[in-house]
Amino acid sequence: MKNNIKVQRAIQNLTQAQLAERAQVSRQTINAMELGKYVPSTVLSLRLSKIFSVAVNDLFELEESDWE
Amino acid sequence: MKTKYLLPNKFKRIGWYIFIPALVLGIITWAYNWEPAFLELPVWGITGFEDLKDASGFLHVRENNILNEILGVLIILGGLFLAFSKEKDEDELIATIRLESLVWATYLNYAILLFAFILVFDIAFFQVMVFNMFTILVLFIVKFNWSLYKLRNSLANEE
Repeated sequence: MKNNIKVQRAIQNLTQAQLAERAQVSRQTINAMELGKYVPSTVLSLRLSKIFSVAVNDLFELEESDWE
Repeated sequence: MKTKYLLPNKFKRIGWYIFIPALVLGIITWAYNWEPAFLELPVWGITGFEDLKDASGFLHVRENNILNEILGVLIILGGLFLAFSKEKDEDELIATIRLESLVWATYLNYAILLFAFILVFDIAFFQVMVFNMFTILVLFIVKFNWSLYKLRNSLANEE
């Protein structure tokens, strides 16, 4: 699954630490998501969507490998 | 996503203080067959003295050196505190790492046990079982904390 958290974070001018605090997760979790190493839960996805004021579908994108 | 059944974070520190000394003392006690006389006390057991099937000892009092019981209890309690306390920054990624570490530790624990089960016998196997009481906790604690250490040192991606 691809995401553009890093882009949205840049638009909002937030550091990983600031975003982590607002989303109530650790900074490592934000980092792992940006690197595509961790797929967040629905709750965390919705939190990020709310923080960025962006629809979840615009924040995350399915890839072919997600169907395998 | 919240992991159920975890202890508050402060238990992790308490866990270190109990687990490490008890484990070191436990290994020394085992290696040197250390049984200090003042801990030779009457104990109350629910099974036979020599054999689980031996009914004669049922609910009888006997003399036993309680050092190994004390250390075993401390290792298990300290280990549980250490293994299953929340991290300060416990979140869903750490919950995932926790689960993966537990699966890894369970596999390795039983791999070691299977190996010993087939190749070790008699009193030596009893000793394997003594160690096996604690190995799953030890393996999990090492794996989980190593994974957390790697995670926390992986923050090269900032900005």
